[in-house]
Amino acid sequence: MEAPGTTDPKLRLKGVAKAFTAPRTLKRTLAVTGVDLAVEAGEFICIVGPSGCGKSTVMNMIAGLDMPSSGTIEINGVPVAGPGADRGVMFQDYALFPWLTVEENIGFGLRNGTPGNGLSRGEVEARVREHVELVQLAGSETKYPHQLSGGMRQRVALARLLANGPDVLLMDEPLGALDAQTRLILQTELLRIWGETAPQAARKTAVFITHDIEEAVFLADRVVVMSRHPGRVRAVIPVDLARPRDEHIRATPRFGQLSEEIWGLIRAEAYEAIA
Amino acid sequence: MTQSVAETSAARLAGTAETGEAVHAVAPVSLVGTLPVLGPTTARRVFRHPAVTSALSFACFILAWWAVAVWTASPIQLPSPPAVASALIDLAQDGELFDNVSVSFVRLLISMAAAALLALPLGFSMGLSERVNSYVDPLLEMLRPISGIAWIPLGLFIFGIGGTLPVFIMAYVAFFPMLLNTVAGVRGSDRKLVAAARTMGVSPLRIVRLVVLPGALPTIIVGVRIAFAGAWAAIIAAELIGSPSGLGFAIEWYRELLMSPNVFAYIIVVSAVGYTCDLLLQLLRRRLTPWASGAELA
Repeated sequence: MEAPGTTDPKLRLKGVAKAFTAPRTLKRTLAVTGVDLAVEAGEFICIVGPSGCGKSTVMNMIAGLDMPSSGTIEINGVPVAGPGADRGVMFQDYALFPWLTVEENIGFGLRNGTPGNGLSRGEVEARVREHVELVQLAGSETKYPHQLSGGMRQRVALARLLANGPDVLLMDEPLGALDAQTRLILQTELLRIWGETAPQAARKTAVFITHDIEEAVFLADRVVVMSRHPGRVRAVIPVDLARPRDEHIRATPRFGQLSEEIWGLIRAEAYEAIA
Repeated sequence: MTQSVAETSAARLAGTAETGEAVHAVAPVSLVGTLPVLGPTTARRVFRHPAVTSALSFACFILAWWAVAVWTASPIQLPSPPAVASALIDLAQDGELFDNVSVSFVRLLISMAAAALLALPLGFSMGLSERVNSYVDPLLEMLRPISGIAWIPLGLFIFGIGGTLPVFIMAYVAFFPMLLNTVAGVRGSDRKLVAAARTMGVSPLRIVRLVVLPGALPTIIVGVRIAFAGAWAAIIAAELIGSPSGLGFAIEWYRELLMSPNVFAYIIVVSAVGYTCDLLLQLLRRRLTPWASGAELA
């Protein structure tokens, strides 16, 4: 047994499986099985796969919202026992509180949860302010989520995620609901905020779920390709594209090769899923 | 999502109404040549205004009532509108009307507060805990079909004639809709939002207060409105039999004196107070839950 915290990766999944029991029929379905993955600190991981491959299930388990049926999930070598503010989550439909303003949404964790522990009132307010500005929402602080465009809601969710200062960013198709142009812009912005220009030690650890292969290649250090029935890791593809990345990288042959390779792994099942 | 769908369909409805009108507006032109068509169209618009339509329907009702009153010529069975109006003015000038309204209204407030004090905590525990729900729910489902009025005879033995009986009956009536809507509201509160709060290290108690409560609030307020309407309907029956004061008592009192115009005057007051309170509750809902669209509450 090695001492925790020294040589452990930031995040490690060992033989993780999750089975769900249907409420009435009591039939057990295996959502994911045999997921092994080690994510280093500062690494950006994208998980892609056809719908129904258990991407979201894996993320919920890392977040501690769901417990694995077998296997373990460790953060810095310590098993995950439940949700915690060290792992911030950005949900697919953003999960903003509809009764709170932009500013109150961003400050929710700092004011009501553990991220605000040990911070003075002034420090909390400064941090909220800083994150409102980080995602360029100054001027919209007092608006409610239903008054915002999809892109703006996405920014609020990102600012809320970052304001809580998590070590690990867990993002479940955060750009899925946006139009193609906004998406491209926000992908670049996301990389900037994640810390692409900083050395790896200063970057956050990110696990990003998407069904968009090019998005995964553009963002990730490594792409985890999952397949379904039951959900499992099909392949892990390292993305050897230089950082910082910008729009032009999409036109390079290597970008096309990587996308093609991943699509090749998913194609058969993706067709199956819509059949 | 629902809101935008509702908006689009509303817009579509408005659109068809517009086109319908346009078709009508065009027809006279081809028939009468250069005559202006603006006149009938504006008139039609005026007659569509909700204030105008409700005033018209009200006027029709009064006229029909008056006609029947003249025809039956029995002021005890059916007094005429002017007789009722003058009775209403007399009772108001006398101050008796306001005394009875305030007595009944205070009873209503006490009973609503008592019902809320019981229903909200119980509803939250039932909504949050399947275990509590499984114990309490069967009992409630057995009690629920029993009308509040059915407890009046027993209530007379326990509380006697007085203010307690109507308050008890109203609280009983108000309790169920408040409870059921609280349970539904708590259960229906967005799991994603609760999950989001959990990932931000917010304690369970705070999650209930800051996430579940506001999420359930629109549904709870609907419950309060239903509870209020039921309680206000029940108070008349309770005061009719078991109370020496209040609106129900006044109705019964003037019935015994064969003073039908006064009976009718009080009935109108019952309706007016009930209607006003419901409007106030709707106003309160908009103030408390501005984010919830009307469509979800329907």
